[in-house]
Amino acid sequence: MTTSHAIPAGLVLALLALLVLAPMAGLFHLSALPGYQAADLRIWENAYLRRVVYFSLWQALLSTLFSVLPAILVARAFAMQPDLPLRRLLLGLFALPLVVPAVVVVMAVVSVYGSDGWLPLGRSLYGINGILLAHVFFNLPLAVRLLLPQWQAIPQHHWQLGEQLGMNGLQRFRFIEWPMLREALPGVLLLVFMLCLTSFAVVLTLGGGPRSTTIEVAIYQSLRFDFDPAKAVVLALLQLGLCMLVAMLTLKLQRMPEVEIAISTPHRNRTNLFRWFNLGIILLATLYVGMPLLSLLIDALRGPIGETLGDLRLWQALINTLLIGLSAALLSVTAGWFLLQYSASLAREGRSKAAKLVDLAGSIVYVVPPLVIATGLFVLLSPHVDVFDWVYPIVIAINALMGLPFVIRCLGPAIRQNQARYHRLCLGLALQGWNRFRHVEWPLLRRPLGLAIALVAVLAMGDLGVIALFGSTQSSTLALMIYHQLGAYLVAKATVTAVLLLLLCLGVFVFVERFIGGKSDAGN
Amino acid sequence: MLEIEGLEFAYPSQPASSMRFDLTVDDGEVLSLIGPSGSGKSTLLSLIAGFLPAGAGNILVDGKPLHALAVAERPVSIVFQQHNLFPHLDLYTNVALGIDPSLRLAPAQVESVREALVRLGLEPLQGRKPGELSGGQRQRVALARVLVRRRKILLLDEAFAALGPALRAELIELVKALVREQEMTALLVSHQPGDALIASKRTAFICEGRVAALAPTAQLLTESEPPQLREYLGSQ
Repeated sequence: MTTSHAIPAGLVLALLALLVLAPMAGLFHLSALPGYQAADLRIWENAYLRRVVYFSLWQALLSTLFSVLPAILVARAFAMQPDLPLRRLLLGLFALPLVVPAVVVVMAVVSVYGSDGWLPLGRSLYGINGILLAHVFFNLPLAVRLLLPQWQAIPQHHWQLGEQLGMNGLQRFRFIEWPMLREALPGVLLLVFMLCLTSFAVVLTLGGGPRSTTIEVAIYQSLRFDFDPAKAVVLALLQLGLCMLVAMLTLKLQRMPEVEIAISTPHRNRTNLFRWFNLGIILLATLYVGMPLLSLLIDALRGPIGETLGDLRLWQALINTLLIGLSAALLSVTAGWFLLQYSASLAREGRSKAAKLVDLAGSIVYVVPPLVIATGLFVLLSPHVDVFDWVYPIVIAINALMGLPFVIRCLGPAIRQNQARYHRLCLGLALQGWNRFRHVEWPLLRRPLGLAIALVAVLAMGDLGVIALFGSTQSSTLALMIYHQLGAYLVAKATVTAVLLLLLCLGVFVFVERFIGGKSDAGN
Repeated sequence: MLEIEGLEFAYPSQPASSMRFDLTVDDGEVLSLIGPSGSGKSTLLSLIAGFLPAGAGNILVDGKPLHALAVAERPVSIVFQQHNLFPHLDLYTNVALGIDPSLRLAPAQVESVREALVRLGLEPLQGRKPGELSGGQRQRVALARVLVRRRKILLLDEAFAALGPALRAELIELVKALVREQEMTALLVSHQPGDALIASKRTAFICEGRVAALAPTAQLLTESEPPQLREYLGSQ
């Protein structure tokens, strides 16, 4: 069985290596040429580069703290209020930023905090303030969703013991909650830090000036505006180094919680004062997440809908967006499927280290940011072909690569569990290949499969990283179109386009997840 | 003495007063509770401990009602099947928490923790964490905490269900000795009729939220009434 999975998985690994290592090799090769070396560029004497590195780290640090620290309070409030009315709906709202494209979030932030917004910040929105507002919008709900299960995994008996032993609130936090939080927090902090460090669309649109540029955006600017591949190479290598450092720290610090995961009824807090405090926290967080989206919708309804929708280029961009999103999703899920089947069979045979390596290979994009890969491809391909003619395959391939970690997270546990439970039974019944897929794998895995395809599709549809580097007005997507409209100060049109992209993403997400995942809980 | 008089309870999905318990347990007695899953055994323990609010009725310990007391104020210690210990704390701290959660212990209290650990044969292990112990050792630590708490009522909610027969018997004997020494009153919930035989002179059969039968253990395990008891024990 391992052998039958090994061939397609090997092919996927080879393609991954080609897509990641070849551009990296191109970058390293170029950086060794005269005039391209860091020493030639006097990188540490270069005030611009120093400022870019400093700003990248500073904004990532602040975004992480402002996202995760309040998220602890919000997750705790949700955990302590299991009977809260509309709890599921509110948690659903907190899942929304995971599928809303970054450029739409930017528009939503501008809609609330821009000069005509409900809480106008004026010009000070552009720069670190706007970047922080948008990053917190994305990452606070993400951190809440990552931390909430940690509270729910605290065994009910621990709460009961705490109560019987007469622990006060502080002692409960110290003996019951903090140990769980301490286990999960480094992983969550580093994940959010990494996401903010590699954030592109938000910084490009809300920052991007000389005082608020990150490495990721500086790479783009050096290629698209300065035509300075040498600087792009140095920046890409810097970004690679930082990301590898954070990824290594993440791997080292991320530990499984010590508490056993058991069925636990969430703890009910009994004092009224604390209940009101929790409700206040939830209300504030809900307003923070809900208000920008609501404001964006209202602005779009008041905007030039007819004029925007009458533009044929919009529909071409919409088709391109769908094409890129769905193709990247199919490619990513196919690659992920083969990798995961192979890693699951390795794990089943007790080769857990090898299995983990295969999974890690699929998550390579965590370490090597997509814009670094794109830069490498640009450097590698531009002497031989017109890279702008290859925009679709390049954008689809890199977006598929960006989606692989999500596929591995969504599908991995299910495939591993499926193999552990049914592999021997399938062998006994001679269920192999298509029949095994049809009778066993599809019914049991269609839910996580649908979720993985839907997630990768919307991620690719909203991407403004690779497409900004390679795209043009002929090969635009809705995300790129919004960026161009913003650049031309057509904010009202950009708002309508942003809502169209938002609705398209939500529509595709719901349709794909339901259509592929099905309505029934077939897996259980 | 523990007296339970007309103690009523219903989960939200159940009709009102779908459970009603009446029971008396003498000082120094270990009373076993047996019965099918979902019959209300653990619910009864949760009501006594105060984890669930009773709808009506009384729980009296030496004639004093418990209903107005918060969980921490009740003269009750409970041992569950699992999750009795905090996994990040060593044995000593897990036991010491039973005296004062602030862990600011007077020298005499520190000595009582040490004595409890010695009594349970755990002193050499006191620096270890629960993850480094066997299942039996973990339950001993929970019993050591019961010792230092010095509460009148001991509730054992399938506390030894995950252990093998010999270890179960050993720990039940230990519980009996502790109950005698500290003049406690204990309720032991178990799925194993054999445990009841070792632990208790009297056993109650709980069925559908009621004490359906209460008799000397050996007699109860051979009785033909009620029919649910026969069904539960699997005999004709």
